[in-house]
Amino acid sequence: MTEALARLWTKFLPDIEQRAQVIIAASRTLNTGSLSDEQRLCAHTAAHKLAGTLGMFGLPHGTELARKIELLLGEELLTGAASDLAVWSADLAALIQANKEPQAQ
Amino acid sequence: MSRRILIIDDEDDIRQVAALSLETIAGWDVIVANSGAQGILRAEEHQPDAILLDVMMPGMDGPTTFRELRKNPATAKIPVLLLTAKVQGPDQRRFADLGVEAVLLKPFDPLTLAAQMSKVLGWE
Repeated sequence: MTEALARLWTKFLPDIEQRAQVIIAASRTLNTGSLSDEQRLCAHTAAHKLAGTLGMFGLPHGTELARKIELLLGEELLTGAASDLAVWSADLAALIQANKEPQAQ
Repeated sequence: MSRRILIIDDEDDIRQVAALSLETIAGWDVIVANSGAQGILRAEEHQPDAILLDVMMPGMDGPTTFRELRKNPATAKIPVLLLTAKVQGPDQRRFADLGVEAVLLKPFDPLTLAAQMSKVLGWE
């Protein structure tokens, strides 16, 4: 089971990294003050998918970060949202990067 | 006892991990569908013992798929468990009010998913 799960992690890692990059890109754009509704929706969807996926592969903190990002992007963007998103998206990308090797379950 | 489970989810990773979990841990037969429409056809054809149904899918979403399954005499009595990453209270209540057997949260633990389903469905 563990080996099979590790194979699936490796298989889906490119999709997971891509979703994290969508969020990073949205964060950078938000910092410039020009985040479009479309880009925000894409990042919101990416965060939702990561929230549902990362814990399944043994990364519960990744799910927590993705969930915070999903909530932030689903609500009115208040003061501080850009800096929160920058920190959380960087942490999320770093977490994924640090766990590129398959996780033990 | 061997069971047949239909997993309906548009995300490949979720489908494959859930299938791996149910096949490996519980020894159940698993059928998969990547959309609500495909899921309804598979449910009619294979008559699974239960359906694991994702909430957020493009096109026909989980709640709409559930209602269609209930309207269809061939699938009306198949137990349905919703699978969702939406963890907020209002969402949970809205899904539970649909009349599904249970609402299971993503991310699920692949090592305990089958046990969780068995408990909810009274298969223990």
